Amino acid sequence: MDILKGLRLIERYNIHSPNYAVARDENDAVLIAKKIGYPLALKVISKKISHKTDLRGVKIDLNNSEMVRLVIRDMQKRLGKYGIEGFLIQKMGRKGVELILGGKQDPQFGDMIILGLGGVYVEVFRDISARICPIENNDVIEMISELKSHPIIMGTRGKKSIHIKSLIELIKTMCKMMKKENIKEIDLNPVLFNERGYDVVDVRIVK
Amino acid sequence: MNFTYNQMRILFEPKSVAIFGATPKAEKVGNVILRNFIDKKYDGKIYPINPKYKTVFGLKCYNKISEIKECVDLSIFAIPSKYIPQAFEEAAKRKTKGAIIISGGFKEAGHPEYENMIKKISKKYHIPVVGPNCLGVLDPYTNVDSIFLPMYKMQRPPRGSISFITQSGAVAACVVDIVANYGIGLSRFISYGNAAVLNENDFLEFLENDKRTETIIMYLEGASDGRELLKIMRRVSRKKPIIALKSGRSKKSGEAAHSHTGNLAGNYLAYKAAFRQSKVIEAKDLDELFDFVRIFNQPLLKGKRIGIITDGGGLGVLSTDSIVENNMEIAPLTKDMKNKLKKILPFYASIKNPLDMAADAGYEEYMGAVEIFMNDVNIDMLIIIVLFQAPAVDERILNMLIRYSSDRRKPIAVIASGGAYTEMYKKILEANHVPTYGSPSGAVKAIKKLYEYSMYRKDMTKHPNQKK
Repeated sequence: MDILKGLRLIERYNIHSPNYAVARDENDAVLIAKKIGYPLALKVISKKISHKTDLRGVKIDLNNSEMVRLVIRDMQKRLGKYGIEGFLIQKMGRKGVELILGGKQDPQFGDMIILGLGGVYVEVFRDISARICPIENNDVIEMISELKSHPIIMGTRGKKSIHIKSLIELIKTMCKMMKKENIKEIDLNPVLFNERGYDVVDVRIVK
Repeated sequence: MNFTYNQMRILFEPKSVAIFGATPKAEKVGNVILRNFIDKKYDGKIYPINPKYKTVFGLKCYNKISEIKECVDLSIFAIPSKYIPQAFEEAAKRKTKGAIIISGGFKEAGHPEYENMIKKISKKYHIPVVGPNCLGVLDPYTNVDSIFLPMYKMQRPPRGSISFITQSGAVAACVVDIVANYGIGLSRFISYGNAAVLNENDFLEFLENDKRTETIIMYLEGASDGRELLKIMRRVSRKKPIIALKSGRSKKSGEAAHSHTGNLAGNYLAYKAAFRQSKVIEAKDLDELFDFVRIFNQPLLKGKRIGIITDGGGLGVLSTDSIVENNMEIAPLTKDMKNKLKKILPFYASIKNPLDMAADAGYEEYMGAVEIFMNDVNIDMLIIIVLFQAPAVDERILNMLIRYSSDRRKPIAVIASGGAYTEMYKKILEANHVPTYGSPSGAVKAIKKLYEYSMYRKDMTKHPNQKK
């Protein structure tokens, strides 16, 4: 499932992501960008590209129309061979702690949710915790405290704790959605959290 | 559960047992099992079954079970797999109430058809079956013992309150042997092998209701039904601690992952999550398993403040390090306590926590200090370090430690590091249910598990309606 379908699905479950729209080409993109407002992120949409970042199919922090045009031309040149269906123009997510939230159907225990500190090193440190659905409030608290990185989530060195209530809500919603939509694997990665809430910036869903 | 508690109990407390494959040939499985029953003086009736013999060890030997006039409660099978379905059905017709199938040669060896026949017969006659391909059952209270490892090679444990369920026979044999060597008592032991009929879920439910069982150990390779297991573990954990050792933690998930999550969450992560969710205490290896099990015969903790009494400074400091690393607390000593301690200890003793009584401390000093620590409300548990190498330390300290452990006022753990002489004392303590550790870190890790479980139980009594 491409990012667009993923975003539309999580929207139906009131999972929050920054405003976005799809542009067909350069001119379209500039118009949309103006409406959404800078700074923004631009992501290639293609059925054949599942790891967008690896192919440099994602550009963030674009500040003006000139940059949007350059990025689109570059992607068209490099990634055209994969078949580009469009470009996702997305408002930049809030500044905050980068988390990865995931879901997986386990053959023995059924749907499970994982939580970890996101970012490029998530697969190096493997600092993640997990629970089987359905998940209760105190399970989420335990999931956080099991992480080595929990001080980053709960606040350290003058930084405030992230909005725990919305993390609990988000995890519970993921359980509900996985069951209802029969989702095999899901990545919400990254999810940007601050003390007021969160933005799901990227979605990958395998059915 | 498909079988009632009393049906399951027959597997451990039969009034009579038939041993299929009983033989005088010493190297045979059926020989060892028969000898277990005879040598341990099992007080029910024993019926050897083997068409090759008229008598075995002076007992009348039968051609088949139908020749026995009385009903036999429990049938144990140690004959080749291809003969078992027929023998089992004959036993079922003769109203046997339970079966243990020791033999391999079933699903694991490419013969699922025999296993399916066992399942069918069990269902038709409603008989609980342990196995096949297992060690079966050991019950030190009734001396039912189907473990085919001779007693001179593998010790049998004394009676106790720990029950142990396991898939694997090999791990089981080691654990029972080590447990017995420590002098730790067992209540019920079950090795269930292929789990054709009864699996870990059935045995957990049985042990849940078993008054004799206070602590459960579970060695798990894979779950038969994960959702059910999680449900049962949750329920049982509220009543008694379950300590689990899961093997195959390094196994990669079978399916190719299409996402980060799929890549990050291998097979084992779901088990880990399930253990955490159900408050099952997870041990990572056999050493941890023994460390954890031993502390759980102590009363539950009310808090995390630990008092340390030692006759050597170094081990006290190492204990402090472990306590801090494990997020437990060193209890502060009150002025009143300090005054009391000053009265009974020499001037060079270090009156703080850890309490270092110095190397010439003997029975009187230990006794006095432990009593003062026991009576103080600011101390939730005691770590008592004893250097048995010291000249003033004698057997009276053993008696004292055993007394304090059994009066159950506060949990205690003993740390004694040393060689053969110390080991001898440790064994006496262990055999008398005093959790004794060779190193501070092993002791404190175990204490931490006891603390976490204690807090969970406390929470449970405060909020009994919580869904967990």
